[in-house]
Amino acid sequence: MGQITLKKVRKAFGDVEVIPPLDLQINDGEFVVFVGPSGCGKSTLLRLIAGLEDVSSGEIEIDGRPSAELPPAKRGLAMVFQSYALYPHMSVRKNIAFPMKMAKISQDEQNRRIEAAASALNLTEYLDRKPGQLSGGQRQRVAIGRAIVREPAAFLFDEPLSNLDAALRVGMRLEISELHKRLATTMIYVTHDQIEAMTMADKIVVLRAGRIEQVGAPLELYENPRNIFVAGFIGSPRMNFIEGPEAARHNAHTIGIRPEHIDVSATEGDWQGRIGVAEHLGSDTYFHIHDTGLAETVTVRASGEVTLRHGETVFLTPQAEKIHRFDNEGLKQ
Amino acid sequence: MATTHARAAARLMISPSVILLLGWMLIPLGMTLYFSVLRYNLLMPGDNPFVGIENYQYFLTDPAFTAALINTLALVVGVLAVTIIGGTLLALLLDQPMWATGIWRILVIAPFFVMPTVSALVWKNMFMNPVNGLFAHLFKSLGLAPFDFLAQAPLFSIIWIVSWQWLPFATLILLTAMQSLDREQIEAAEMDGAGALSRFRHITIPHLGRAATVVVLIETIFLLSVFAEILVTTNGGPGNASTNLTYLVYAESLLRFDVGMGSAGGVVAIILANIVAIFLMRAIGKNLDA
Amino acid sequence: MARAVTPQRKALNTAIAALIGALIFFPIFWTVLTSFKTETQAIADPPVWFAFDWTLENYTAVNQRSDYLLHFWNSVVISVGSTLLGLMIAVPAAWAMAFVPGRRTKDILMWMLSTKMLPSVGVLVPIYLLFRQLGLLDTRMGLVIVLTLINLPIIIWMLYTYFREIPGEILEAARMDGASLREEVTHVLLPMAVPGMASTVLLNIILAWNEAFWTLNLTAAKAAPLTAFIASYSSPEGLFYAKLSAASTMAIAPILIMGWFSQKQLVRGLTFGAVK
Repeated sequence: MGQITLKKVRKAFGDVEVIPPLDLQINDGEFVVFVGPSGCGKSTLLRLIAGLEDVSSGEIEIDGRPSAELPPAKRGLAMVFQSYALYPHMSVRKNIAFPMKMAKISQDEQNRRIEAAASALNLTEYLDRKPGQLSGGQRQRVAIGRAIVREPAAFLFDEPLSNLDAALRVGMRLEISELHKRLATTMIYVTHDQIEAMTMADKIVVLRAGRIEQVGAPLELYENPRNIFVAGFIGSPRMNFIEGPEAARHNAHTIGIRPEHIDVSATEGDWQGRIGVAEHLGSDTYFHIHDTGLAETVTVRASGEVTLRHGETVFLTPQAEKIHRFDNEGLKQ
Repeated sequence: MATTHARAAARLMISPSVILLLGWMLIPLGMTLYFSVLRYNLLMPGDNPFVGIENYQYFLTDPAFTAALINTLALVVGVLAVTIIGGTLLALLLDQPMWATGIWRILVIAPFFVMPTVSALVWKNMFMNPVNGLFAHLFKSLGLAPFDFLAQAPLFSIIWIVSWQWLPFATLILLTAMQSLDREQIEAAEMDGAGALSRFRHITIPHLGRAATVVVLIETIFLLSVFAEILVTTNGGPGNASTNLTYLVYAESLLRFDVGMGSAGGVVAIILANIVAIFLMRAIGKNLDA
Repeated sequence: MARAVTPQRKALNTAIAALIGALIFFPIFWTVLTSFKTETQAIADPPVWFAFDWTLENYTAVNQRSDYLLHFWNSVVISVGSTLLGLMIAVPAAWAMAFVPGRRTKDILMWMLSTKMLPSVGVLVPIYLLFRQLGLLDTRMGLVIVLTLINLPIIIWMLYTYFREIPGEILEAARMDGASLREEVTHVLLPMAVPGMASTVLLNIILAWNEAFWTLNLTAAKAAPLTAFIASYSSPEGLFYAKLSAASTMAIAPILIMGWFSQKQLVRGLTFGAVK
């Protein structure tokens, strides 16, 4: 079980309110990602759920039990930290055993769970090493192993992949997703990387300045962002925003169109511009188009290799049904 | 981690230290200030009348005070000069590639661990003694007349002894600082065409600047209070030739039992030390933010 | 820099370093050597180097004269006692400031440091009079108290800089793993802090062992540690170089050995973490 409900949860440090009263429902077995730019309060929110910070007011219910006053250990949650926070003086085995030792679980049961976790995480041959002798990815797995053996109601991840290099990051992303499929335990995952959010989440919570901007499934957020902030934050490359007469033509203050929803042509189209930088990725090509008279640059994504060069004139046509319209407060119309 | 509960516990855990240090600072300091305005001599029982700044007037106009002030400054400046220059050269040497660096470093820093009374007595008797000292033997074998260091150059001798004790400190700290110098910076300078000398001048010296400041300030604090070395070698003499401020206050208080005068001297010493302390605290405080 | 240095260059460096090291170390070496000579050999002209009758008689003589062991024991009690007492007071304070820093933490630390700047001589008179009043003059207890207070700021600072290097997330992880405050301290914090605490203890014992202002001014025959005992050799009674050397050797040997082990921590402790 792992159903977590936040009711009017508020956090202030002194006079500074970092999280205004906030409601959120996390269902059992869900993979929820808190995403937002740095300083948006996503880590603070996670730490409030963990019990590492006190709420200033409001209630946190874990499986229906009021938990805002409970110490972290009593909440039945496990956390994987950004720095992994392994105990450097203990072997991998002792690291994984530590939470069970604290919970006074029998030695046999401890060994059983350690073996299970180690084989699931490919750590069996490293059990007697110290964390200092492991690579970044292995340390990450030990941290996850330490969380698994507690059999928690929910896992909390605080930017767990940010210390890994790009290739490992993709691998660990998949491993964590598979772990979730296998355990079907609630997971709350904090990241500033919207790609991680999109690829892993059942439900994304977009945060800005302590406020929830939108909650929804990845594709829901992609297709139907509630406001300019979410529209700009979700999706890569970023959505193009256009103001002025062109927006007015669509009866909006601002219109947004994603790079992948603009067709490129050398001969005809609605908008005209000049190619600046072209990024060739093989599978796709990103063009940064200048001098359209619409915005400083318009980014366009074309599938495959397109033979347009720097400085050439191009014509762009937005796919009409994919245009997002926002009012002067940035809200979706 | 900073929950309300933790904060209350933290305050409770800090308070014993704060209370003790506060007491240690305020009570004696208050008493020193109070005694310094009394006529109070342990050898003359009776009332201890309030005399205002009389003690200060006597203390500051006493020729012994001027001598002590000059000696204190000479001692501090002399030792600083020797240890900073010698320490930099030694650090530079020990930073070079060589065999068994550890052994030479151990030899160089050893004097720091010798207690002041031992080092002063060893130098006084076994080296500087005009009859039996090694220096006397050395001078004689060179055909020179033996020299009574502690009688004829008492302050110089004490500077010598104290420098020997503090050279390791300066060396060790400057060496540590030197080894923390980013090698890429040196390599970058090399790529930019800087020769060995200009690399030392423009990269190493500025990098050592901070460590050297710390050495100067910390040594100054300790050097203002040099005491045992003087007590066991010259007793401040001949005359006042090797009396520093610390020794003068000690002599007033515990040899002449003049509590009032000793306290006034103590206050003067505190003021002097505080001037140095302010600079030291700034240097260390900056580091706290980093 | 992985660049080749010629062996000749390396040999030259080694030779210079060995020469200078030997010169600086010479007084200590000479003291140890002299401690094994007879008094006559100790002042022989020209000096005898190794060809003398090695003897231990000075060590016996020193032990007979004025109860050397008592003073040695005083030094041990005073330096170890003040260090342990200081540690007991300092560990909670350093722990709190390192892991629950508040807005005032930095100010408190700086203020603690500033008490160290107070010159001892400035408070000599009141401490002397207070101790006389309280019957603490020439007692080990009195010196333990004074040295604890004097070195408390250094202990707190050293522990603070060591504790601060323990990442807060590890303690939080322990908390998430269900450790109580006591278990957090015993299973996680202490094992990680032990090396730092050991160096703090080592450095502080060295400082207390060699302290020579209060030990000289507040003790007489009974509680005098080695610093004060050795000072009694300043008034010569006949031939005494060899005995002075033997007494000195015994006084500095333990601390010299400890000191060599604590070289690195020394820098950090004495600069209040400003140089690492």
